[in-house]
Amino acid sequence: TTSTTSVPKGIARTKILLLGQRRSGKTSIKEVLFNALPPKQTFYLETTMRVIKHAYDTVIPLEIWDCPGNVTVETLGAPLSRFSALIFVIDIRDLYKQPISKLVEFIIAASRDNPQLLVEVFVHKAEKLQEDDKIENFRQIQERVQDSLMERECEQMPCNFHLTSVYDHSLHEAFSKVLHKLIHSLPFLEDLLNVFCANSQSPKAFLFDAASRLYVATDASPVDSATHNLCCDYLSMLNAFGPLYRSSTSSATRLRIPSVEPSPDNPSPQETKHRFYPSAAASLHPSAPGTTLTYHLITPHLALLALVPTGVYEGRRGLLEYNVVFFREGVQEICAVEQEARGG
Amino acid sequence: MKKKVLLMGASGSGKTSMRSLIFSNNPASLTARLGATIDVEQNHVRFLGDLILNLWDCGGQDAFMDSYLTTQRSTIFQHVGVLIYVFDVETNEMHKDLEYYRDCLDGLRQFSPDAAVFLLVHKMDLAHDKDATFERKKKELHEHSEKLGQPTPSVTVFGTSIYDESLYRAWSSIVHTLIPNAAVLSKHLTIFAEACSATEVILFERTTFLVIATSSSPTSPSPGAASQELEATRYERTSELIKAFKHSCSRVREEFHSLEMELPEFSAVLDEMTKNTYVLIIVHDPTIETAALKLNIRMARRKFEELQGLT
Ligand SMILES: Nc1nc2c(ncn2[C@@H]2O[C@H](COP(=O)(O)OP(=O)(O)OP(=O)(O)O)[C@@H](O)[C@H]2O)c(=O)[nH]1
Ligand SMILES: Nc1nc2c(ncn2[C@@H]2O[C@H](COP(=O)(O)OP(=O)(O)O)[C@@H](O)[C@H]2O)c(=O)[nH]1
Ligand SMILES: [Mg+2]
Repeated sequence: TTSTTSVPKGIARTKILLLGQRRSGKTSIKEVLFNALPPKQTFYLETTMRVIKHAYDTVIPLEIWDCPGNVTVETLGAPLSRFSALIFVIDIRDLYKQPISKLVEFIIAASRDNPQLLVEVFVHKAEKLQEDDKIENFRQIQERVQDSLMERECEQMPCNFHLTSVYDHSLHEAFSKVLHKLIHSLPFLEDLLNVFCANSQSPKAFLFDAASRLYVATDASPVDSATHNLCCDYLSMLNAFGPLYRSSTSSATRLRIPSVEPSPDNPSPQETKHRFYPSAAASLHPSAPGTTLTYHLITPHLALLALVPTGVYEGRRGLLEYNVVFFREGVQEICAVEQEARGG
Repeated sequence: MKKKVLLMGASGSGKTSMRSLIFSNNPASLTARLGATIDVEQNHVRFLGDLILNLWDCGGQDAFMDSYLTTQRSTIFQHVGVLIYVFDVETNEMHKDLEYYRDCLDGLRQFSPDAAVFLLVHKMDLAHDKDATFERKKKELHEHSEKLGQPTPSVTVFGTSIYDESLYRAWSSIVHTLIPNAAVLSKHLTIFAEACSATEVILFERTTFLVIATSSSPTSPSPGAASQELEATRYERTSELIKAFKHSCSRVREEFHSLEMELPEFSAVLDEMTKNTYVLIIVHDPTIETAALKLNIRMARRKFEELQGLT
């Protein structure tokens, strides 16, 4: 069942294993997050027959292993010790023994081969059930997993449960939380966000991976889902707007976007600072004490989204831009260190 | 000025769903909860100053249809500006749909012979080979209309779905036929676009975000060749994107007000133009600042209020 699809060699990628029964939604999750597949289109996905490795570059380079339903520890094609996280996908309506015993097998193997492995369970297709049934099934699945781990005397492996669906923001929120645990530089990114918020009077700011709309870090204030969802939707609108008014004749003059590698004619980081970074602002509330949702591209992959009082946005624009530049320099430095450490 | 728009078609074909998307800013996912419409639901939508759309969403169950065609006949078919007849692409009862469509055309001929006729082949998202299915349906509807004495040029057919921008395309064209000074607006948008060094300028109605006029309308020669090579579906997709974001904002009890973007491919400002319109300015020239565009909008407001008879 195992084979290798080509993944660029060279840098050490953080590996995430996606496991679960057939049709539980693994490929849908991967495609919706990392290939911008519209959720409705997942209906047409074909059954995965072999392990598909998907490389994805964000604040850290990822490699997601989408596995067929029948894969086992033995047929996986790599020892569990090479993975950083295991995401196990269970259809919320699937309360039978099979998926749970499979999950337990993997957890037991991990406790032997890789006790550091993060185990995250996505109780998926949650939107299919009414609120009460949803909570009840979620509870039952957790209970059964914990019970069988206890039976096998393997309680020491912690595992986290999330309710997810490709049709709403729950998948993005859950996957973001998993991602946070994989980013070693997270505390530094959070510090930079805290400083940005304090200096810009922003009640909330997120550093998002622009294409997947996963947030890689946020400031210390609590995340409320409504605000997270709004930022996610804002990003999705901006992503969709980008190509809509593209013009091939006039884009030559505008192509000032930062590229991944320094180009030959612009090699020094000094000049990088003067490059063009896309930005946007949406003002909410027509009247005075409104909020402005700002967007600033920070690296080719990452975007800063912040809620800023409209008064600050309009009245102290220079200060805000200065704070963004400061933030960008910090993030770019962190990314450079990360890249060097991974041999990129 | 009032314009009456009849929205007709079989029960379950999606009439109330499209009305709630376009006029009430509800998301497509919520339409599954709609019940069948009982008799006629009327909506008044103020559109551009003195144009009022009087939308009649006519419940499509047989008993209602029969009554529209008999006892309510004159009430329903009088003073109609536009008839929109909706066909579910997956219907099993095309034969019956076509019979009711014929009877409605008879009603129109009797009471509103000048009404425009639009046919929507709806729920296109369910069709497998979309293009082929649409072409086949369109041909069938045109042939049938010809037989009923409604020549092809007088009947416009659109394929639509509440799940993509096609709905905005169809409805923008429909309301466009009702706007009396669309050409004048277009002319002034062209002047405004030149003043802004813009590639193009688009005027939207405020609540529906349907396109009212653009600086580069297909009939008048565009200011530059640049706008010709842009994505053909950009207007309706813009409507769809903004409507979806407005809905996201309303979920956190915020109200969307304006947007500015400096993207790799273009800069843009979307802001209120008049009480009931929004304007989107698209600029490719990298030397133009969005602040200048905002200033230009502020200066143009009065002129556009005058054009709409708002002052
Ligand atoms: N797949 C799909 N479903 C749609 C579409 N538009 C509407 N529907 C669904 O069709 C069903 C019926 O929609 P309604 O809008 O209530 O139909 P109606 O024409 O108003 O029906 P009556 O009021 O009885 O005449 C709802 O469940 C909608 O969710 C579409 O474009 N695609
Ligand atoms: N209702 C619902 N269906 C989903 C969701 N995620 C995936 N699906 C559907 O589940 C089916 C199987 O998905 P797939 O990704 O191929 O499963 P895999 O075999 O685990 O890779 C597809 O028909 C998807 O459309 C979800 O969140 N909600
Ligand atoms: Mg209805």
